[in-house]
Amino acid sequence: MERKILLSVRNASRIFRMGEVEVPALRDASLDILDGEFMVIIGPSGSGKSTLLNLIGGMDHPTSGRVLYEGIDLAQATDQALTEYRRHQVGFVFQFYNLAPMLTALENVQVATEIASDPLDPGEALALVGLAGYENHFPSQMSGGEQQRVAIARALAGNPKLLLCDEPTGALDLATSRQVLTLLVHLKEALGKTLVLITHNSAIAGIGDRIATIRDGGIHSLQENARPVPVDEVTW
Amino acid sequence: MSRALRHKLIRDLWRRKGQLLTLFAVIAIGVGAYVGMAGVWRDMGDARDAYYRDYRLSDFVVDLKRAPSWAVEESARLDGVVSIEGRISQSVMIDLPGVVRPIEGVALSLPDYTSPRFNDLMMRTGSRISGPGEAEVILNHAFAVAHGLKPGDRIGALLLESRQELLVVGTAQSPEFVYLIPASGGLAPDPARFGVIYLGERYLQTRSDLDGAYNQLLGRLSSRHATQVKNVLLAIALRLDPFGVTLTTPISEQASFRFLQDELAGLEVQSRILPMIFLGVGALVLNVLIGRLVNQQRSIIGTLRALGYDRFSLIRHYLSYGVAVGCTGGLLGIALGVWLQSEMAAIYRELYELPGLVYHFYGDIALVGLLISLLFALAGSGYGVWRATRLQPAEAMRPPVPQAGGHILLERLGFLWGRLNFRWRSILRSVFRNPFRSLVSLFASLIATALVFTTLSMVDALDYLMGFEFERVSHQDLSIGLREPVDLQTLTEIESLPGITLAQPELLVACDLTNGARQKRIAITGLPTDNRLHTPLDQFGRRVDVPSQGLVLTRKLAEILELKPGDSVTLRPLTGRREQVVAEVSAVVESFLGLSAYADIGYLSRLLGEEQVANRFLANSVGGEMSEKLLSRIRERPAILGLSERRHALAQLDATFGETMGSMIVVMVIFAGMIAFGSVLNTALVSLSEREREVGTLRVLGYTPLQVTSLFAGESLLLNGMGILLGLYAGVKLSEGLSLLYSTELYRFPAVILPASLAVSALLMLLFVLLAQWLVFRILSRLDWLESLKVKE
Repeated sequence: MERKILLSVRNASRIFRMGEVEVPALRDASLDILDGEFMVIIGPSGSGKSTLLNLIGGMDHPTSGRVLYEGIDLAQATDQALTEYRRHQVGFVFQFYNLAPMLTALENVQVATEIASDPLDPGEALALVGLAGYENHFPSQMSGGEQQRVAIARALAGNPKLLLCDEPTGALDLATSRQVLTLLVHLKEALGKTLVLITHNSAIAGIGDRIATIRDGGIHSLQENARPVPVDEVTW
Repeated sequence: MSRALRHKLIRDLWRRKGQLLTLFAVIAIGVGAYVGMAGVWRDMGDARDAYYRDYRLSDFVVDLKRAPSWAVEESARLDGVVSIEGRISQSVMIDLPGVVRPIEGVALSLPDYTSPRFNDLMMRTGSRISGPGEAEVILNHAFAVAHGLKPGDRIGALLLESRQELLVVGTAQSPEFVYLIPASGGLAPDPARFGVIYLGERYLQTRSDLDGAYNQLLGRLSSRHATQVKNVLLAIALRLDPFGVTLTTPISEQASFRFLQDELAGLEVQSRILPMIFLGVGALVLNVLIGRLVNQQRSIIGTLRALGYDRFSLIRHYLSYGVAVGCTGGLLGIALGVWLQSEMAAIYRELYELPGLVYHFYGDIALVGLLISLLFALAGSGYGVWRATRLQPAEAMRPPVPQAGGHILLERLGFLWGRLNFRWRSILRSVFRNPFRSLVSLFASLIATALVFTTLSMVDALDYLMGFEFERVSHQDLSIGLREPVDLQTLTEIESLPGITLAQPELLVACDLTNGARQKRIAITGLPTDNRLHTPLDQFGRRVDVPSQGLVLTRKLAEILELKPGDSVTLRPLTGRREQVVAEVSAVVESFLGLSAYADIGYLSRLLGEEQVANRFLANSVGGEMSEKLLSRIRERPAILGLSERRHALAQLDATFGETMGSMIVVMVIFAGMIAFGSVLNTALVSLSEREREVGTLRVLGYTPLQVTSLFAGESLLLNGMGILLGLYAGVKLSEGLSLLYSTELYRFPAVILPASLAVSALLMLLFVLLAQWLVFRILSRLDWLESLKVKE
């Protein structure tokens, strides 16, 4: 079955000016993300992964090139339009969870549902990630894996099409990482989301449908992964 | 300090320049208030002391009917008296060419052959009187300036029954009239409507029927008796009683002396309290700031310790922030203070005729200002420094432990908590988990609100006071004072003057009131039964009628004499038959100016041995104005001693106090605004920098800058809103306290709490808070939130 393109990065460059020096973080990168796929973007630190993620996530404008989401060019979008895009179309999962320490697990999920147009019930979102009963726990009372699951619940609760995960297991041990990855893959399938996962850890790459390798600010290779590795077999 | 650390200090400060700017302003205001007020206090105190010393201000004044010079010399031998000099003091109506309105004044005599022993004149222009018996006059300088008079001009003066033509030979000022108001009282100088003129002794004696005698004595006490003024004055009054002593006044109760004294005392109190408030708030804000700095620099502190820097050099380094802030704020404050001092000196020069009141720079005051600024700044940085040096190297290098979770007490109120959305929960938890910072916010807006409200309330109090005294108690358009009591036939004459629509008589009699050991000499006002123009009111504003027998006392007088309605008081008039009687106090009424009492005019007349007499007439005129026709008719009557128009008196008070009050409001609002603005901005920025990551996350999740700001603003609005409410309460209490403090025999300040002023204070404060939040919003909109999300751990 031919999948339609959800988001398309076209010849995007992003150059940072540090004083008088220009540092190109991304050079003429092009990449399509297909609706419903699980794409892993892999690359060493400093390769431009996060810059690419920022463009895909509507957090930054490219210096040149286009980022098309369902036909709309995010490169030309206003800040307000990008805010709307992030609010309704994208769910984020960060390496360090970024939960508000003042809020309980449930309230952290409500942070996303409050402003979404078609949100899930925050309690149900927590149940989806296996944290029913943890509603009143504060981040400081939970383990890293549990905190990351709250973050996933928060990302899903806004009911976005696209789930962006930036090194979601970077701060976790192997066993917990496997649980989190299993959860992500399961939810993607169950809820029909498009999942983009960024990592420097090549051991994880094999679980995706497609694997993009990024190096020196450019897409180095893009390979179809006909037989994704089950998460249980991932090890490092 | 090592050079690297010094550079770090400078860069750390530079990076926080925005926050520091508001802090500098708060500290500078504190130091400036101290330097300016303490400076002008000293300028004025020194000028006063020198003036009183060099021009020999007398220690007391005795007024009597007529004392021959031998009696004056004899009284100088009384124990405790160093010397006494007699003079003539005569009420006078001054008649200026081209001025229709006669001007009230007082004529004082100068010895013919020497300078006066007391209250010498400081000549401003012209010369002294050339010889005994000459029709020459020296004018009070301010009075001369107000009327454009100079040596060589001629003026007319109505002395007793005859008009005198006088040649102006000079203008002068005297330590006796630094604050130029009539002995009968008043609130503000009005040199256009009240003047003092000086005439030769023999000249004035002849025109006052006092040949070889005096009606006022000035004297000096021996230093041993300086604290026993009352006893010495009692002895003098006893010795001179046969000569009709009407009033003994220690200098401390003389109006001009008292006004200046009160002003200096108030200034001294303010020069201590205001700086404490501002520096206190500054120290608290600095504490929050340094605490945050140390938190942010944990890993740097760890690294420095690991590199071998000892605790002492770290203490020195972080204390340097306090020193830098204290010094900068202090120096700015000294500059502000210098300006404030010279401005205040200029305002005081308008109100007080005080030669030598000029700006001086006082090194010691500036130094103390700098030192207190440093002291507060060091106190403000102390806690942060202590925390910084307590960190162990290894511990300091680890990221800070995430803020401990846990529910706050408020969450136990399930029914309430359950209704709150996550924004309010987050706001409330943040408030209660940073109790110190929250209290600083609360306290700062409390102080600022109280400051604004108290200032407004003082203006309201003055308005109320003037409205009460000059509109509700007195409703006459003009009052005409006579030299001697006259029978009521005069009333018919007054009523028939052109333009007069209504008139009523009054009788003012100086009396001694005695209750046991408590005695007070005051003027009792006799009111007619069909009294319409002068209505005493009780403290609730209800009209009180005077009884046909007995007295109505004003509140302060009743307090001094410890009398209440139903009590009896001994009353002795100082004129007429001077017979002592016992009178009942029938009621106590409110009054904010001077001390007075009321009685029935018939009752008071009979005490003087007369049927019914009056020495003052109140009248209403067409349009409330005095026509030229009316004025010229009044001028023809030599028996007239004084003439005053209520509207003019009110306008004069407004002019004098309006300007001062206006600038006071502006200054106080700016000061309070700096406190509120500084505190709101600093706490918001500190909490913003702590929660940068949260801000980034919210932005990624699709929150707009406005939505994020509202989360932060909620906390600020909650704390400042509570601070404002508490501040209003504190302001009310403060106003009540001030009204107790400003309760003297000369004047009282009511505590006036108007809802409008409460609302204006609250709205002004809210405006400052919103302004600061708007700045936070601007900062937040420009914040590089992507950067804040980068992994720093």
